[in-house]
Amino acid sequence: MARLTPNGVAAALAGDTNLKPVVQIVELRGVNVNGVGATRGERFRAVVSDGATTSPALFAAQLGDHARSGLLRRSSIVQLIEYVINDVRARRLIVILNLEVLVPECEIIGNPIILPETGFPNPNPTRVEQFNGAPQYGLMSGNSSNTTTRPTDNISMFQHSIAGNSNFATRPSDRTPAIQPTVQPSYRPEPNYKNHGTIMKNEAPARIIPISALNPYQGRWAIKARVTAKGDIRRYHNAKGDGKVFSFDLLDCDGGEIRVTCFNALLDRFYEVVEVGKVYVVSRGNLRPAQKTYNHLNNEWEILLENGSTVDLCPDEDSSIPTQRFDFRPISEIEDAQNNAILDIIGVVTSVNPCTTIQRKNGMETQKRTMNLKDMSGRSVELTMWGDFCNREGSQLQEMVERGFFPVLAVKAGKVSDFSGKSVGTISSSQLFINPDSDEARRLRQWFDGGGRDASTQSISRDFTPAASRNEVRKTVAQIKDEGLGMGDKPDWVTVKASVIFFKNESFCYTSCPNMIGDRQCSKKVTKGITGNWTCDRCNKEFEECDYRYLLQLQIQDHSGTTWVTAFQEAGQELLGCSARELNALKEREDPRFADTMLACLFQDYLLRLKIKEESYGDERRVKNTVVKVDKVDPSGESKFLLDLISRSSALH
Amino acid sequence: MDTSGPAAFVNGEILNMYVGRRVRTVVQAQREEGGLLIGQSTDGHQLTIKGASGAPMLRYVEIIGIAESNQTIRAEVCTDFGENFDPAPFNGLCKLANGQMKDMFL
Repeated sequence: MARLTPNGVAAALAGDTNLKPVVQIVELRGVNVNGVGATRGERFRAVVSDGATTSPALFAAQLGDHARSGLLRRSSIVQLIEYVINDVRARRLIVILNLEVLVPECEIIGNPIILPETGFPNPNPTRVEQFNGAPQYGLMSGNSSNTTTRPTDNISMFQHSIAGNSNFATRPSDRTPAIQPTVQPSYRPEPNYKNHGTIMKNEAPARIIPISALNPYQGRWAIKARVTAKGDIRRYHNAKGDGKVFSFDLLDCDGGEIRVTCFNALLDRFYEVVEVGKVYVVSRGNLRPAQKTYNHLNNEWEILLENGSTVDLCPDEDSSIPTQRFDFRPISEIEDAQNNAILDIIGVVTSVNPCTTIQRKNGMETQKRTMNLKDMSGRSVELTMWGDFCNREGSQLQEMVERGFFPVLAVKAGKVSDFSGKSVGTISSSQLFINPDSDEARRLRQWFDGGGRDASTQSISRDFTPAASRNEVRKTVAQIKDEGLGMGDKPDWVTVKASVIFFKNESFCYTSCPNMIGDRQCSKKVTKGITGNWTCDRCNKEFEECDYRYLLQLQIQDHSGTTWVTAFQEAGQELLGCSARELNALKEREDPRFADTMLACLFQDYLLRLKIKEESYGDERRVKNTVVKVDKVDPSGESKFLLDLISRSSALH
Repeated sequence: MDTSGPAAFVNGEILNMYVGRRVRTVVQAQREEGGLLIGQSTDGHQLTIKGASGAPMLRYVEIIGIAESNQTIRAEVCTDFGENFDPAPFNGLCKLANGQMKDMFL
């Protein structure tokens, strides 16, 4: 079945004549242009729809045959091949020069409003005058001139008397048989005229449309949505004097969002009316491009309320409209986010720091509080709260964490900062939700309680992860080479689960200087002199006895590959279980226990903490791996790590 | 190795799915009642094991046998897993083996 081009009509009306949209004919009739019944002079008028927006359309005479033959009829789906846009007295319509009929007849797609007969361009001007000669407010009212006329030019239904609108009655546009400004091209239910004396009001309710379909070319519109955020009153002073403004955000059942702004008198009218969480029908506001610096909603437009606007509370709870809309990103994606980007995140709070008072640049003091959020991507991030958040949500979170409950926290509109690593901070329009009622929160809770709590995570909020087991980064041997670890400015610290498969046993230790420099041993290699004493070049001293320190070259292996690593004193000792001196003695005595000691550590799994860094060896640059810590694999801990790894990998799929 | 009668990894809750079939699980021996061993499964359920008498109390025992009901297993093989067994990873294993990783087992 053919699909209509989304927003095809709106885009075409906006001027895109190359789009070639697929639209549906929702209304079609022939009109005699000359007023005489010659069929030759018949032109076909239509209303085309893209499922949401409709527009009047004219077919060029050459297409008339299609219409006459019935090939083209009401409900046909066609692709507009060649067309132009005509502006006729502030009305836009599509003049179709060439089209292709895709489906001759089909059910009406989408929700276009079929215009009633009265709304159609009426070549017979006498109709206009039928209503007692009084100006036709209903037909000319509302948003007929959204495109060019200022909204204030539209006569508000409620206010004007006849006298004020005599100009309407005499407008030549009322008389022309061609396109009249009275045509309402889009959403409008059957006009419902009630006679209130000499003033006619169209009291039919405007049809509710999705927020995502709003655009300035829309006719009269209404949206039904829930208030998700309400801003504070902001007072300002400019050349025109003092003013005040506030905004609120709306979310409808399709997930569309838009910001609504009110100034001055309108603020007075609507500020108390609007409450967060309640559902309202908003109608007849002005659509203007959204100001991206303040407005972070996903909509290119925002609504400016004006005199004719209405904001009506819907008393019955509409549960089809969600209370909030989030676009959560995994914490691992924040690492690549741009500085100052605005995004939504959700995670489990693992630690909360106390509130501190910070002096701002303008001398004002404010509160600051940091905490850690962790999610299933294996990363954690530092969240910085400012101002009221610190004492409100911040205190609540701190109490919960202290008592051992680690709550899920959702942040809407947090700002990314690249001050130290990447962190997220609150801004004035941020919103915080503790343990929100959402699927995402439930999944996080299950993951955390089911093992995620103990999972090792890497913080993206610091440049360098210390060698603490909670923050270890696990890699396979192959990844060292594949990911080019160690090639950066700083060394990479990783943990590898591998076994030792080979020791270079010829030189496993060296004679070292025993001299203590402060609280550290010199450890430089000492050479035996003629006197039989050991000489250290650095300390410029001689020693009778030297120390022995491990310098092991090992080959390690895991399922992905093998590589060479170097182990120094501490790591060597952990691995072999005896001191270098003892081992050396065993070797010199040719004690079989020398071989046994070394063989005993082969082919068992260890968790090896590696420092990886590319270094220069003469002209060559080689990546050197150093073992700084050796841990036996704890089956229980390792199982938990693996379970968490499995749950993390499947969460990402 | 005789693979004709594979045993499914179960905990207290999953045992329900395998009544009449061969299962394997780990329980912590709690007490003995008339030749029957009462043990706690890795997810906190009380299971009755037939034919596993003599297991030292509070030690973990692996039982392989036929599930007679959703709470009883007729043991064929019992293995002492000692005191230091961590039930949590085993529980995780049971959930994965019968859940998203089902295709890798049985």
